[in-house]
Amino acid sequence: MDVIKILKDSYHVMAKDLLELRRNRMSLAALFIMPLLFLVMFGFIFPSGNTQQHMPMGLVNLDQGQGSNEFIAQLEAMNKNTSYMDFQSYSSIDEAKTAINKGKIYGVFILPPGFSENLTSGKSADFTVYIDNSNPQSAMQIQQVLSSTVSSMNNIKAEANVVKLGNETNQPVNPQAMIFPYIPNVQTTIPGQTNYFNFLAPGLMIMIVMMSVMTGIPEAISKEKEMGTFDGMLSAPISQISVIIGKTAALCTRGFIQCIIILAIAMILFGVTIQGSILLAFFMLLLGIFSFIGIGIMAISMSGDQASSTMIVNLLMFPMMFLGGVFYPIQQMPWFMQTISQFIPLTYAADAMRKIMLLNAGIGDVMTQILILVAFGVVTMAIAVPLFRKSMTR
Amino acid sequence: MIKNAIEIKNLTKKFGDFIAVDDLSLTVEEGEIFGFLGPNGAGKSTTIRMLCTLAQPTSGSAKVAGYDLIKDSSKVRENIGLVAEKMIMYDRLTAAENLRFFGKLYSIPKQKLEDRIDELLNLVNMQEWKNTQISKFSTGMKQRINVIRALLPEPKIIFMDEPTLGLDPQTTFSIRDIIREINNNGVTVILTTHAMVEAEVLSDKVAIIDHGKIAALDTPQKLKDMISGSETNVFGTKISNLNSKLIERINSLDIVTAVVQQDDYNLKISAKGIEALNPIIDTIREEGGSIASITNNNESTLEDVFLAVTGKEMRDQANEKAVPVHHRHGSEPKARVR
Repeated sequence: MDVIKILKDSYHVMAKDLLELRRNRMSLAALFIMPLLFLVMFGFIFPSGNTQQHMPMGLVNLDQGQGSNEFIAQLEAMNKNTSYMDFQSYSSIDEAKTAINKGKIYGVFILPPGFSENLTSGKSADFTVYIDNSNPQSAMQIQQVLSSTVSSMNNIKAEANVVKLGNETNQPVNPQAMIFPYIPNVQTTIPGQTNYFNFLAPGLMIMIVMMSVMTGIPEAISKEKEMGTFDGMLSAPISQISVIIGKTAALCTRGFIQCIIILAIAMILFGVTIQGSILLAFFMLLLGIFSFIGIGIMAISMSGDQASSTMIVNLLMFPMMFLGGVFYPIQQMPWFMQTISQFIPLTYAADAMRKIMLLNAGIGDVMTQILILVAFGVVTMAIAVPLFRKSMTR
Repeated sequence: MIKNAIEIKNLTKKFGDFIAVDDLSLTVEEGEIFGFLGPNGAGKSTTIRMLCTLAQPTSGSAKVAGYDLIKDSSKVRENIGLVAEKMIMYDRLTAAENLRFFGKLYSIPKQKLEDRIDELLNLVNMQEWKNTQISKFSTGMKQRINVIRALLPEPKIIFMDEPTLGLDPQTTFSIRDIIREINNNGVTVILTTHAMVEAEVLSDKVAIIDHGKIAALDTPQKLKDMISGSETNVFGTKISNLNSKLIERINSLDIVTAVVQQDDYNLKISAKGIEALNPIIDTIREEGGSIASITNNNESTLEDVFLAVTGKEMRDQANEKAVPVHHRHGSEPKARVR
């Protein structure tokens, strides 16, 4: 059987599958809703890196002097811009602690007696911040906000002190340069602000395509097997390869449409930008699909019916979803998880996709990933196709 | 010269320990309607699947349309059409789209395919439904499309696995007419059925198949003659107070070869010789059985043949239950749960 005939038959199978898809309103709706759901869900449930605002904090001022009032005024003035905290005054430490226990406030600033006196007499003015760390997440955030707020307040105080000293000794001084001689100038690979979606979108695109192929192949084949239509194709003079190619091509088309939807949602709703070549990105998607087909075909060849093949695929898909580095950077995982993730093709596909879309990487930059994916695809297909042929004539 | 459409040699198919088709050998001549008759699980469908290259034989070989099943499987496929037990059609596509899709798989040129589709739709009076989705069709309409789908590539041999199963009488007759018509055009038809009448009225030859083996093979008439001519007679007996003890007693008679309970009152008794009736009646009365009627058709049916050669009765799927089958030697009450 020659190649042209195989490709022609593949095309007929693909066209038929797509026509079936077009007629199926539920599948069409799912085609649009699934990526939307995924993006919105994962986009909003994961900590976005932005600091929480309006964290309730207590204030207990046990000092009677000028300095403590000044400190509080400054603290409130600084917080006005960011609104990280909402302050609430308490008259005693006990009262504030009760409020913490009741969950009304996350923590409390306690200015001890003699705070002002220490300031004016040139000592450091110590104060206590009592934080409820039963919620580690907000305790950490409070500490971050606290240290940055206090350090800016220290700055202002220090600058004023330096200027004052300079004036006293009649020396022209640059307080900024004296206090902070080192100033980092941070530049990023991607111009402008980035957010979690920039990280998420490329990986999510490839993951959705992967899921669509891995679940789609066994589903498409076992559905036809159970319906009996598969016998019609197999008793016709066509190669079984045509059935595989045709079905895969139909699924690829479906996957592509989903990718475009993801990209559109990510760009419109979440301001994701593409730095790299779209063409290369699509090539990467195709390659990703190629590397996943084998697993899908293996699943259906080994199980025979839809229920068990879906089970096999799910079993493989979940680790891939979470260890493939789509949602979390792999580098942040424990070492053994990192080792597992190195055996997952999605890891390489998502990584390459991110490099292409965000960093404008060329084909040479992602050659390693390309080779790994091709190898993975070839090996799994080499196992899957004979298995499939055998299972067909069981 | 008459050629053989199908030559099967020692064809065997095992699923694990279960032997579905057991060392089957037969030939089907070109232009015949050949019927496989047997209960569910007899191996009919498996045989058809192997002949359509859909299942790999465990051992043995076969030639279909002159081509070897295994070596020339794609040549075999070019020459056959299949009407399987499950309809080969996509519900969401229209009749024409379905036919077009399968037609293309046979590389039928576009214009020829369109003409052929119209011609076949006319054959089954479905022209007006050409562009309607299959899901809107009744079972009978679907089956008509399913049958002409198999005819698209003008196959030399057409396999039909239970083509009238679950159809209303009217559609059943029209499908049988189609089968006769395509056969008149020279197409060899391989038919499996468990409807006795169908095998009888359609087939040139019938193979009664049970447990993967051929129990009898001949023209329907000769099969019937076989038992009318022989000593074996089949009596229909209606007993108003039928019970299992009674059945066992009848079964234990030497002259009785098989007893099958048809319903609460009716028995079919296969026995040797016409004189066998008297001892049977005596036995029933001894046991206190009250005979309502006895029938003895001189013209036997394929059903009787089946009973005689397999020792059990073929039943329609509709009222198919685990029928206890009593053999003469009383040993193995083979209750086959299907």
